[in-house]
Amino acid sequence: MSDHNQNDDILIIDNIHTFIGQFHILEGVSVRVPRGSITVLLGRNGAGKTTTLKSVLGLTPPREGKVIFDGMEIQGKRAFNVANLGIGYVPEHRAIFRALSVMENLKLAERQKGDFNRNADFIFHLFPDLKRLYKLPGNHLSGGQQQMLAVARALVPDNKLLLIDEPSEGLAPILIQQMMDAIRELSQKTTILLVEQNFIMASQLAKRYTIIDDGQSVHDGLMQDLVNDQDLIHQYLGASIKTRKELEKNHETRK
Amino acid sequence: MKPENKKRLMIFIWSLVGVGVVAGLYLYAGKEPFIRTTLSGLTLGSLFFMVAAGLTLIFGLMDVLNFAHGAMFMLGAYMGWQLYTNPTFIFGMLPALLAFSTGIMMTSVIKPYLIRWEISSKWQNFLPKAAYFLALVIGVVAFWGFDILQLANTAMVAATTTTAGNPLAEISAQEPFVQFWYRPLLLLLSGLLVAFASSKPGVKTEFAPLDEMKSKLVLPIVLFGLTILSIIIRESAPVAILLMNGNWRFVISIIVAIAFGFLFGAIVEITLIRPLYVRSFFIVLMTLGLSFVIQELVQLLWDPLAYQMVRPPLFAQPGKAANLMEWLRNGSSTIDVFGVTFPTYRLFVILLGVVMFVFITLLMTKTRLGMIIRAGVQDPQMVEALGINVKRVFTFVFALGVAMAALGGIGAGPFLPIQPAMGEQYQMQGFITVVIGGMGSYVGAFVGAFLLGMGRAFGDYFALKLSLSPAIAEASTVIIMIIVLLIRPQGIFGKKE
Repeated sequence: MSDHNQNDDILIIDNIHTFIGQFHILEGVSVRVPRGSITVLLGRNGAGKTTTLKSVLGLTPPREGKVIFDGMEIQGKRAFNVANLGIGYVPEHRAIFRALSVMENLKLAERQKGDFNRNADFIFHLFPDLKRLYKLPGNHLSGGQQQMLAVARALVPDNKLLLIDEPSEGLAPILIQQMMDAIRELSQKTTILLVEQNFIMASQLAKRYTIIDDGQSVHDGLMQDLVNDQDLIHQYLGASIKTRKELEKNHETRK
Repeated sequence: MKPENKKRLMIFIWSLVGVGVVAGLYLYAGKEPFIRTTLSGLTLGSLFFMVAAGLTLIFGLMDVLNFAHGAMFMLGAYMGWQLYTNPTFIFGMLPALLAFSTGIMMTSVIKPYLIRWEISSKWQNFLPKAAYFLALVIGVVAFWGFDILQLANTAMVAATTTTAGNPLAEISAQEPFVQFWYRPLLLLLSGLLVAFASSKPGVKTEFAPLDEMKSKLVLPIVLFGLTILSIIIRESAPVAILLMNGNWRFVISIIVAIAFGFLFGAIVEITLIRPLYVRSFFIVLMTLGLSFVIQELVQLLWDPLAYQMVRPPLFAQPGKAANLMEWLRNGSSTIDVFGVTFPTYRLFVILLGVVMFVFITLLMTKTRLGMIIRAGVQDPQMVEALGINVKRVFTFVFALGVAMAALGGIGAGPFLPIQPAMGEQYQMQGFITVVIGGMGSYVGAFVGAFLLGMGRAFGDYFALKLSLSPAIAEASTVIIMIIVLLIRPQGIFGKKE
């Protein structure tokens, strides 16, 4: 953790404990997100990755520990205050507003008048489909289009940090590729904290990773080290995930 | 069959059924009874809608069943009626109210400084509690010996009709300045203490930036100015208003009822409902209790009597107008509609309901606030994550719903007896309307309200014609509800869960 300067971190999550109802979901999660790159949270289902994102935003406020965004302690603040500091959130299950049209979904995300007009070109450059669907109500979109809208919505204001939860969930392979390209292009403009089950996608996008297991952050480091560390992957992420080496080996033997 | 085609077919079939029923009623009843019954059905439907619109908005966004809605409808009628016949009461209470809200509105000004105050956690706990307690004590001291009954008392005079020619007959005297002067002052202090406590001095996790202090000062200064103004005019304004043209007086009383409803709704939401969102069942009990409290307080102030509000001059002159222009010129009490003599005031009530529907439709579809409400119905957490203060939106929507109920109350004032229980029946009808129309849908509330109103009116008509029990009109409401729920359990415009 000492391999980079503290001031380079846009977000520092320091040993947070979060309860939902009486359940102790996070039992000490620490994550550092360096500026200008993609950091990914890995872990099994139910490990607490989504809750970590929600704790940053204040949707499930942490009871203990600190969350420091851009040098400012934000734990315990209301979610709308946190969001207004410049954090965009793309929830899992594409929580777009079904009763609103695509345009209204995007306009709703404005924090100041004119946000949308300013960034519209960039959004439609990333997701050209949305321009065509502009006036359709949200419940007429396909799953992939909804996911694109959910990401696009987070791009309307100029956010310093994007929290993206499972962007590839339930998408067709060709759409996953499109989403990956979009996220890669985004990461040149802003910092991204990603939660992703699709290990291949995560390994190609992210620079750093943090593994969360059973409500605790157990490991972090550079992604390029993780992809070759078979033991670590098998221990925390499940045996079904193959490292790049194994995949290559399989590929060769099949030939 | 495609779902869209199926939906179209269903709409087609149901509109055929609707047209058939209407045509059948027309042929059976004949032209004149049909029109008369339809118009009175529209009047009732309009009233039902004014109650149901607020209920459905509040339920749709916050899942709150407001059982005090009928009481708030009644309060709107009382407040409007008070301004119309005895403005002393409202102008006597106004300075204290404005002073208190001036104090509370100082929160946004002092909060940025208070939360940066370095004090230990013991003081952080103690100071707000002490301030709340002190505020309460000061409030009690302020109203000690305050003869509110004297201010409100119009009972005996209002019941007689001999005073009709003299607008000043029912006015009660404003209390003398010696008894009055300290009250706004104390309430300003009390409001400031509440502001101090609610801004949580010293708490680090609170959030309030120090910039733009000038714009935050505008509201308290305006309110303070209004307080001073209301103190100055508190004796002259009631007389001036009573000597005014009755139509304008009625417009003012509508505005007062709406403003009062909005303020009252906001206060109820912030103080009573907000702490209970996590236990939604308690909200039902709380609002039910609140409705009893309001009714008893109103009985205390104005006695458990039924008052008749005098109709504004535009609707009061005897005689029948042949058309709209003649009515507006002469202010006739009845008007000729396709050969049927119909009271003009009821036409006004129908108009009021339609205007309100147009207002809600515009608000929901054309404004950013409407967008936020429609989004919040689905997922308030996500709206908050976009950077929107959802709590404030909740308060606004609740206040708006109550304001609409109050508007319904004053709208009903001139043709219903004004009494403490006047809202109960409309609240029940409002709930049934919301269920029929689909929980949370304002279009559904509109359609459902007119359906129920029609059911009522034609129930009455058939009861009279076929010499059935008049209870058939009451029963029509439930019959319509059963039919709708059997065919569409989610309501006419409801969404499937």
